[in-house]
Amino acid sequence: MLNVKEMLDELNASPYEEIEIRTPHTGVVDFVGLAPGDRVAGPSGKWLERPGTLLANLTREKNKKSICATQKGQVMDIQTALEGRFVEAGERLMTIRHFLSKEEVIGRILKKALHLFCAPERAKYYFVPEIDAKIKAGGEQSVKVREGLDMFIVSRMKRETALSYTGPQGIIYAVYFQQGDNVDGGQPLIGVCPENQLTLIQDVVNRVHGEWEERD
Amino acid sequence: MSRHTLLIANRGEIAMRILRACIALGHDFACVYTSADEQSGHVRLARDLGGPGRLFRISSYQDPSEMLAVADAANATAVHPGYGFFAEDYRFARRVVERKRPLIFIGPSWAVVRDLGDKINTKRIARAHLVPTIPGSDRPIYDEMEAVELAQTIFAFQHDQGIDEGCVLVKASAGGGGMGIEEVYDADTFRSVYRRIRNYAKRNLSDEGVLIEQRIFDFNHLEVQVLAERGGKNAVHLGTRNCSVQSLGRQKRIEVAPGFDPASLDYAFDAAGVLSAITRHSVHMALAVGYDNVGTWEWIVTPRGEPFLMEVNTRIQVENGVSGITARIRGRADCEQGVDVIAEQIRLGLGEPLGYAQQDISLAGVGIEYRILAEDPADRFTPCLGRIEAFGWKPEPWLQVFTQVPPLEHGQEPYEIPMDFDPNLALGIVWGENLDQARSRGVEFLNGLTLEGTDTRGEPLRTNVAFLLSRTQTILHF
Amino acid sequence: MDIDKRTRELAARLTYIRDIFGQRENASVALLRTRLEEFLEQAPHLGMRELPLQVARLEELFALLEGKLEGELSPMDRVRIVRHPQRICLKDILENVYDNYTEIGGQDEWSIDPGIIIARATIARRMGKKTVHQSVMVVGQEKGHGQEFRNAGSIKPWGNANALYYMRVAEIENIPIHTYVFTPGAFPVEDYPGAAQQIAKNLYVMSGLKVPIISVFSEGGSGGAEAIALADRRLMLSHGYYSVISPEGAAAIEGGLKDKATPELIERCAERLRITAADNLELGFIDRVIQEPPLGARPEHYDFFRQLRREVIRATDEVVDAVEGLGPLRGMAIRRQARSADPQDIFVRWSLGQAARTKLVDRRHEKYRAMSRTACRDNRSLGARIASGLEGLLWAAHSTLRHDFLARYKRRLLGLLEAAEAELRALRQGLDGPLGRLLGLGAGQQRRMEVPPEALERLVSLSCPEDCPCRLEDTWVYVSPKSREDRTQTCPNSSTHGCLDLWGPDLFGEFAGVCSHCGHHFPLEFQWYLYNVFDFASAFEFNRELESRNPLDYEGFDLKLEQAKCQTGLGCSCITFETRIEGIATIVAVLASPFRGGTVGAAEGEKLIRAAERAMLKRTPLILYSHGTAGIRIQEGTCGVIQMPRVTMAVRRYIEAGGLYLVLYDTNSYAGPVASFLGCSPYQFAVRSSNIGFAGPGVIRETTGVDVPPKYHRAFSALSRGHIQGIWDRRDIKKNLHQALLTMGGKNLYYR
Repeated sequence: MLNVKEMLDELNASPYEEIEIRTPHTGVVDFVGLAPGDRVAGPSGKWLERPGTLLANLTREKNKKSICATQKGQVMDIQTALEGRFVEAGERLMTIRHFLSKEEVIGRILKKALHLFCAPERAKYYFVPEIDAKIKAGGEQSVKVREGLDMFIVSRMKRETALSYTGPQGIIYAVYFQQGDNVDGGQPLIGVCPENQLTLIQDVVNRVHGEWEERD
Repeated sequence: MSRHTLLIANRGEIAMRILRACIALGHDFACVYTSADEQSGHVRLARDLGGPGRLFRISSYQDPSEMLAVADAANATAVHPGYGFFAEDYRFARRVVERKRPLIFIGPSWAVVRDLGDKINTKRIARAHLVPTIPGSDRPIYDEMEAVELAQTIFAFQHDQGIDEGCVLVKASAGGGGMGIEEVYDADTFRSVYRRIRNYAKRNLSDEGVLIEQRIFDFNHLEVQVLAERGGKNAVHLGTRNCSVQSLGRQKRIEVAPGFDPASLDYAFDAAGVLSAITRHSVHMALAVGYDNVGTWEWIVTPRGEPFLMEVNTRIQVENGVSGITARIRGRADCEQGVDVIAEQIRLGLGEPLGYAQQDISLAGVGIEYRILAEDPADRFTPCLGRIEAFGWKPEPWLQVFTQVPPLEHGQEPYEIPMDFDPNLALGIVWGENLDQARSRGVEFLNGLTLEGTDTRGEPLRTNVAFLLSRTQTILHF
Repeated sequence: MDIDKRTRELAARLTYIRDIFGQRENASVALLRTRLEEFLEQAPHLGMRELPLQVARLEELFALLEGKLEGELSPMDRVRIVRHPQRICLKDILENVYDNYTEIGGQDEWSIDPGIIIARATIARRMGKKTVHQSVMVVGQEKGHGQEFRNAGSIKPWGNANALYYMRVAEIENIPIHTYVFTPGAFPVEDYPGAAQQIAKNLYVMSGLKVPIISVFSEGGSGGAEAIALADRRLMLSHGYYSVISPEGAAAIEGGLKDKATPELIERCAERLRITAADNLELGFIDRVIQEPPLGARPEHYDFFRQLRREVIRATDEVVDAVEGLGPLRGMAIRRQARSADPQDIFVRWSLGQAARTKLVDRRHEKYRAMSRTACRDNRSLGARIASGLEGLLWAAHSTLRHDFLARYKRRLLGLLEAAEAELRALRQGLDGPLGRLLGLGAGQQRRMEVPPEALERLVSLSCPEDCPCRLEDTWVYVSPKSREDRTQTCPNSSTHGCLDLWGPDLFGEFAGVCSHCGHHFPLEFQWYLYNVFDFASAFEFNRELESRNPLDYEGFDLKLEQAKCQTGLGCSCITFETRIEGIATIVAVLASPFRGGTVGAAEGEKLIRAAERAMLKRTPLILYSHGTAGIRIQEGTCGVIQMPRVTMAVRRYIEAGGLYLVLYDTNSYAGPVASFLGCSPYQFAVRSSNIGFAGPGVIRETTGVDVPPKYHRAFSALSRGHIQGIWDRRDIKKNLHQALLTMGGKNLYYR
C-alpha cells in the first residue's frame, strides 16, 4: 500500500528540481542580462504557443537562436565566463531551480504507485501506429493495455522489432519517454493503472491538491 | 607545402585513419564527436595526438552547420568528409567552398559530386563517353507505349543472348532504398507492373518517371580505385577489387584485390581482358568528366564476362586499404608496403599534383579485407549490441587492422558498442604474394583474433567471424 | 397624454442624444439638459394648467434643437446611432412595413444563427377594389435592441448559408427578395462553411439570382454586409453607414495595432472613410437615400416606416419595370412616383417572365460593372483606349469564328478521318486473326524474337544525345536575392520535426524556399512565381496602365501610394498577363503582396474584371495567383468593398461561359478578396504553408474574445474544412497547373 504522506514529506524536504540549461549545439553565446536570483517563466498560452523567458542567445553560422526557459523557476547560477565565446554542444549555461507543481508531484508519486513497464534494453522506442493514434486523439488514459498487446516498436541500429506489453491489465496513466529518443534499459516506458486501483489514484490526486503548496 | 588544418567531419575508424594520415603529412587537424561517442577510438586518438582546441563536442554528425561552425572556431582550412555523412553531399561540398570563409573540400569538386551522385545521370554520362552500361533506359520514361516497347526489346535481347529466363527491372526513377522497384519475368505482366510502379511513384515521389533495365543475375561486383588531381587533367587507377561477398542487405563483408585472379583460377571468360577494360573505361571517364580526387567506379560483371558500369562513388571508400596494400608506386619510398589512399586523397585534395603516371604504378600480390561486425549472420545479419571485454590480434607485417575499439584484455574497462551507428568492430586487411597465401593468412588472422563480449541480454556477443572464415575459401571464384 | 409619461419620454430623448454625441460638449445638448432639469425642479410647484404648457414648450424646444443637432452629426455620431439599442431593427420593420409575415429562419434564440432573420412577408396592394397580397422574401440581420443572443447582427457562416438557401427558395418561387443590412461585420470564424468562403458563395449565387433584389442599408460593415447586399436597387437609411471596416478597426490599423486607438483617431478615420449615406450616394454605391427623422429612426417613428414601405415598394416596382416593361401609363406613374402618390395604388406584378429574368441579371451585372470606374487611374491615351475597344470587338469575332464556327467543322472532318482509319485497322487485324490464318495470309505461326539492330542500339547507347548528358534539375530562372546571403535559417518546425538549420543559398536557391526535411515553405517573392511558374519573361502584360489612386482623398494616402509604386515598380497590387503554361495559352492575374499588402482597390478590381473578360473573349483559362492579400484596401473605403461583388460577377460570367477559373493561394490571404472572387472559385488550391482565412488571429480575439489555435488558418486546416481543394508543393506548381488545365474547367476552353 502506498504511503502518500511519507512521500509527500520526502518531497517537501526538497520541493524543487534543478534544471540544467545546456546548449543544443555549438555557437557563440550571449546572455541577456539575467542574474542569479532572477525569476523566469515557462511557456504560456492555451497551446503553450508563447515561449518562456529568454535565457540566452546562441549564434551559429550567422543565425541567432534564442534559448528559452522550459519551466518556471529561479536562476541559480550562470556561466557568465562563456559570454561572447564559442561553446561546444551540450555545454551547461545556467541552472534553474524549478519548484514542483501539483501535477509534477502527482506524477512523481504515481510513478511509485503505478505498474511500470520498463525498457528491456537501450534503444529508441515508439508506440505502434494504432496506439499512437489513440493517444494523440484521446490522451494517454484512453488506451487500455493487456498482457501480450503489441505496443512498441523498438528501433536499434536502424532495425526495428516489435515489443509487447507484459503486466496487469489496465489503462496507461503516464508515458515516461519521448518517442524517438534513446531510452536506457530498465527505464520506465509507461505507467499502467489497473482499473481497480483508479480510486487509489484519485485519492493521491486529491491528497496532493489538498496538501501540496506550490511555490514560485 | 603549406601547413593546413583539416576538420575531420566524421567518426570512428575512418576519422582515425584520416587523423593519422594528416599527421603523417605534417598537417594539423580538428576532430568532432557527439555525446554518444565520448569513448570512441577517434576521440581517444585525438586526445592523445592533439593538444587543446582540437576536439569539439557537437550535437550531430549530420548537421553541416555544426561542422562549419567548428571549422571556423578551430581555424580549419580544409574539411575531410570521410565516407558516409557528407562524403557524397554536393550541397555540403558547395557550401564549404562558396561560403564567405571558404574551405578546401577534400573530395571532388561539387559539380562532379552532383553529376555523378545521380545514378541515371551517371548512366547518361557513361553512355555519352561510350562506357558500357546495363541495357535499358537512361532517362525516366513517362509514356506507357514507350515503356512496353522497351521492355519487349529487352526480353527479346535476352532471348537472343540465350538467357532462358529473361527478367526486366522496373523502378521508380525518383525512388531509392529498395522502394518502388519490381522484377518482371514475362512481357505479358509487364504492363500491370509498370502501372503499379508508376502509380506508386506518382503518389509517393510526385514524379511518375520509371526506369526499365535488364535484370542481371549472379553477377560479380567489381570496383576500380581511381586517383585524379585537382583540375582533372591527370588520373590513374590502383587496380581493381572484388566486393562480391556481401551480407543479406547487400552490405559488403569481404573485399579482395585484384578483382579477378586469372593466374590461379579458371574463368569462363577472359578475366584479364575484363579487368583491363574496366580500368581503361574508368580512367577514361574520369578524365572526360574532369574528375579531381579519389573515387571508385563500381562495375558489375555478368557470368558471360560483360562489364557494365553501375555507379561512381565520389568519395573514399571503406575498402580503399585493400587496393592500397596491393599497389606500389615507383620512386615513392613511402609506398613500398602499399599506398595509403587516404593520404593520397588529402594530398590531391589540397591541390598537389599526382606526381606519377599509370606506368609508375605496379600491382603486387593479393589483398583481402575483412569487415568484422557485431552481427548475427544466422539471424539476417541483425546487429548485436553490447560490450566488448577482450579484443586483440597478433601483429604481422602482412596485416593491417583498423579499428575504433581499443586493444582490450580481460579485466580492463569493457568497450561499449555505440548504438547509433553500424556495429563495425574492425577492418582487417591481409596481404599475400598470391591468392593461396593471402587466403591462408586471412584464415590465420581470423582464427587468431581475440574477441569476447556480451550483448545487452547477457549472452555472448555474436560476430560475423565464422561467416567471414567460411567465405574465404571461395573468394574470387566465379 | 399624462404629463409624467411625457416628461419621461423627454428624459429618454435627452439620454439618447447624449448617447449619440458621446463625450463631446455641445451647447444645444447642454441647453436641453438645463431646461429639462429646471423643469423637473419646478414641476412640483406648477399648476395643472401651467404644466402641460411647459411640457409642450419643452417638447417644441426638443424638436427644434434635435433638428439643429441633426445638422451637426459627425460620421462617428451616425455610427453610434446605428449601434444604439433604440435603433429600429428588422423585427420593427417586419411588423410595421409589411402587412403580414412568418419567420422561417428560426425563432429568437432557437435559430441556427439568431443574428439573422429570414421571413416570408406580404405587402398588400390595391387593385381596384381587390386587395392583392404580394409575397417577398425578407432577409436581414437582427440586432434585437440589445438582445445578447443576437450577437449584434454579426453573422456566423452558417447564418449566411441559411440566408442563401432561402434566397434560392425565393428564386424558385419567383418572388422578390428584400434584404436589410444591419451588421457591423461577419463573425470571423472558419468553422464550416467558413466566414469568407460562405460570403463568397453568397456573392456568387446572388449575382445570378433571377428575382429582383432590393437591399436597404442601415449598418453596412464590410464583408458581412456584402453577404446579403448584392442587389438591383440599393437603398440606404439617411443615418446609416456603409464602410469597408469599422472606424475603430481602421483606427487600429492606422495607429499600429499595439495600443487602443484614441477616440479622436477613430473620429478622424470615420470621416476619412466616407461612410455616410450622402457619401455613398455621391460615390454611386447606393441608389437612393431614405430620409430618417432627426437623429435617426427609432421604433416609435411610424411615419418613417410608412415612408420606408413606399420606398421598398417603389424600388421593387422600378426593378420590375426596367426588365419587364409595364404598360406605358404605369411605367410613367412609377417614374413619377417620387413626387406623386403612394406606389401602393399602382399595381405591379412582381413575378417575372422568363425573358425578364435573364434581362434582370444582365442589368445587375451592367450596374455593378459601371461602379467605381473613376476610382482608379487609367494612364492610357484616348487612342489606346479606342484601339483596345476595337481589339476587343475583333477578338470577339475571331473567337466566334474560330472556336464556334470553324472548330465544329474541323471536328466533324477529323471524326470522319479517324473513323476511316480505324476501319482500315480493323480490316488488317482481321487478316492477321483467325480469318486471315484460314486464308493463309499474314505472318507465320512462330513469333520470332529477332531484335532489329536499331532497337538493340537504343538499349545500350545514349538516348536523346542532343540533350546534355547531365539532367539539370531544380534550376530556377529566377532565384531569390535572399539566396546570396551566407547565413543559415531555422525552420519554424525544427522543434517538432527536428529540421536542421538550412543554409540560405541552398534554401532560397535550389530548394526554392522549401525546408528539405519537413517541407515547410518559407515565403518567396512574387517574381519567383512570375518567372519560374508563369514564364513572365515571354508573357504579354496587359492593362499595366491602370493604376491605383486615392479616390476618397484619404489623408496621407497619396504619399503611401507613391512609396508603394516606387518600391515595387507596380501601379497597383495586381498584375495581369497572357502567358503559356506548357504550351497552353492562359490568362494569369497575380495579387502581389509587397504592394500595400496585396490589398484590393478599384484599380485591382478593374484589372481583374478585364482579365476575366479577356479570358472569356479569348477562351483561355483564368488563373488567379494570390501571392498574398491582406484584404480590401481600407483607404479606398466603399470603392474597395464594391470590388467584391464586381469582380465576383465578372468571374461568374466567365465561369458560366464555360471557362476555367483557378485560384492559387500563397503566404497569407485574408478578408474581402477571399470572401468574394477568390473564395467563389470551384477550384481553389494553396501553396504549402500558406494561410487562408477571413480575419487574422488578432482580429478574431478582439471581435469574438476567443483564442484560436496557432495553426488555425493554415492551408491544411482550410483543406480539412473543405475551403480549398488541394495543397501544392511550390516546386510542383507548374506541373500541377498543367495537370489542372488538362483535367478541369468548362467546355469553352479553346484547347478542349
